[in-house]
Amino acid sequence: MNFIKRGFLGITRKKGKSLILLAVIFILGNLISGAISIQQATSNVENNIKEKLGATATLEMDWLEYEKLSMEEQENFIFEEIGVDLIEEVGGISYVKYYDYNMSTWLGSESIQSYQGEGVDEEIIHYGPSMDFQLKGINYAPVLDFEEGKGSLADGRVFTQDEVNNGSSVAIISKKLAERNNLHVGDTFTLDNVVYDYDYETGEEEIADSRDVVLEIIGVFESLLLNEDLGENNDQGMMDWLDIDYQNTIYVPNKVVSAENFFQIEYYMKDDPEYAEMVEEEGTNFDYYEPIFVLNSHEDIEAFEQEANPLLPQLYHVVSTGDHYDNIAGPVESMSTLSRYVLFAAIFATVLITGLVVLLFLRDRKHELGIYLSLGEQRGKVIGQILIEVIVVAFVGITLSLFSGNFLASQVSDTLIEADSQPGYDDMGYYYGGSIYSDLTTDDVIASYEVTLDANYVLIFYGVGLATILISTLIPLVYIVRLNPKKILM
Amino acid sequence: MILEAKDLNYYYQDGEQRRYILKDTSISFEKGKFYAILGQSGSGKTTLLSLLSALDSPKSGTVLFNDKDIKKIGYENYRRNNIGIIFQSYNLIPTFTAVENVLVSMSITENEIPEDAKTVAYNLLDYIGIVKSKADRHVNKLSGGEQQRVAIARALATNVDVILADEPTGNLDEEIEQEIIDIFKKLAHEHGKCVVVVTHSNEIAEQSDQAFHLKKGVLTPYE
Ligand SMILES: Nc1ncnc2c1ncn2[C@@H]1O[C@H](COP(=O)(O)OP(=O)(O)O)[C@@H](O)[C@H]1O
Ligand SMILES: [Mg+2]
Repeated sequence: MNFIKRGFLGITRKKGKSLILLAVIFILGNLISGAISIQQATSNVENNIKEKLGATATLEMDWLEYEKLSMEEQENFIFEEIGVDLIEEVGGISYVKYYDYNMSTWLGSESIQSYQGEGVDEEIIHYGPSMDFQLKGINYAPVLDFEEGKGSLADGRVFTQDEVNNGSSVAIISKKLAERNNLHVGDTFTLDNVVYDYDYETGEEEIADSRDVVLEIIGVFESLLLNEDLGENNDQGMMDWLDIDYQNTIYVPNKVVSAENFFQIEYYMKDDPEYAEMVEEEGTNFDYYEPIFVLNSHEDIEAFEQEANPLLPQLYHVVSTGDHYDNIAGPVESMSTLSRYVLFAAIFATVLITGLVVLLFLRDRKHELGIYLSLGEQRGKVIGQILIEVIVVAFVGITLSLFSGNFLASQVSDTLIEADSQPGYDDMGYYYGGSIYSDLTTDDVIASYEVTLDANYVLIFYGVGLATILISTLIPLVYIVRLNPKKILM
Repeated sequence: MILEAKDLNYYYQDGEQRRYILKDTSISFEKGKFYAILGQSGSGKTTLLSLLSALDSPKSGTVLFNDKDIKKIGYENYRRNNIGIIFQSYNLIPTFTAVENVLVSMSITENEIPEDAKTVAYNLLDYIGIVKSKADRHVNKLSGGEQQRVAIARALATNVDVILADEPTGNLDEEIEQEIIDIFKKLAHEHGKCVVVVTHSNEIAEQSDQAFHLKKGVLTPYE
């Protein structure tokens, strides 16, 4: 009849009290397990979606902050460019897996035709200058878009660092574009860099100057945009349009783009001495780069932002896939917050209510406890007996509420999400930082939300539940420690 | 001497004043004898017994068990292994059967207990006058006299030499009282126990081997 056996007898001999305690723990356990279920589900969504979003970041002017400045401040504000030095400094932060900075321009061509999608045979007739091809300058020779799975090399090779450094006239074009124009690796093709001049008298644009841009094809890539898992709610038309855009993208070294841009600026400088003077004076950098940083993991985004932001000029900030998550995760995030409050409230209530119920039951049994003490039982073992009685009942209650709370959570959260999901970024893809595109929407977030009953949840709930019950027995235990058997028994 | 009290003082603080319940009380007990300490209600009998049984500590003075200060033995240790206490109101655990109540004290003591504790407990109860059918009953379904027998069995079950009882027959009628007295006599004379009973019953004092009178905090031999 040691204290362990007495503990179990204490449960079975006083079934009424055990059932009351069981009911209390079961009801409160449902709140705790429900809240933990929702917490788990939301954090799963977060991981899931952030995983899908990847971990890319760029640097951007914070126009919202700019809007907050006074008129005077806005007028006096000096816009600083993001220079290559700064990009390289940020690229050196340890969280960055690799990075690139891009300069783009759009050019037309007389000799090759753009890809216009499947089944479009008719010639697209352009009125005025056609600028069908996006020349995308790169600095990262293996091409970041390929590493990130936007496209992949189908034939030929990527750039060499020498080609990038020297600005060699080499290009990687899409397979669709190559097929349409019967081009192969090793062939050359010609784009036209045309400078237009605006005639103030006639109000018409006319060709002022032009030159041929001859590029050698070193590689052919395939677009993977349409291969992506789009989810159910994505707009196919939108993706087609994006894909066509991408098929007409031509990768070249940054210096190629820079040289073609300069060809245009040079003309305007010759044409307009005032403009030339301004350029000379301010030494404006016409090389405008768009940086893109790929981080090791989405978990690094916050740390990366904290390290990068202080390096940036005033009003610039890091824009990342994490920001996009914040934009689309509204309903799930608000439920996460709500469930956190419920969790804390439920733990607090459990500690208080269970503590009081156990204390009440112990007061009823103070005679019994006094007898053990008078027989010379150690207080530690008397406490052990009570702990066994409470914990065994709690374990049963917690196990029952493990399932029911989880079930309730999935019911409740479905209702909550529906009530909370407002139209926002719902059915559109979203460009941010100019160069990061994501087609994930709030609908995707909601679709990936699921209350599950996995090992992690079970472990966390048993941990939190039993810890809560242990804490709630603290007050009753103090009561036992202070018991005076003489007063009770004599 | 198996048990000895030396210069015990016990008082309650009444404002500025100390109201003494026991004043320099000394007494000693040996094995094989049945002692009675007689006193009126409020004379301090329970106080004295609580000090002898280490349920309370004196303001000054010592209690010695086999010449060792029970403080040194440790109060819990002493209660667990050296003495058995019997209360006026039995103090059994109501949700347990008679035999389970006896088994409780057997599981708490560190004294040697035979392998088949349960059989020993049944035999002990039988010896004290509780047959097997009653031993398996919940104790709140037993009469007062039967409950006190269970309490005596619980005290004896740990193989201690000293039995301390606080008005063990206070709630029982005369016929039963005599049966309990007989048990105490038997324990002292046949089993060599040291039995100390505090009581206001002259009957017990008459039948004891040695009796004392407690009055105004002072012990005197009883006539
Ligand atoms: N907590 C207390 N405070 C003050 N006086 C007390 C307290 N407990 C007992 N007493 C007094 O101590 C005296 C002795 O009590 P007790 O030992 O219980 O006597 P007995 O058992 O002989 O009836 C009594 O007069 C009682 O009033
Ligand atoms: Mg008394």
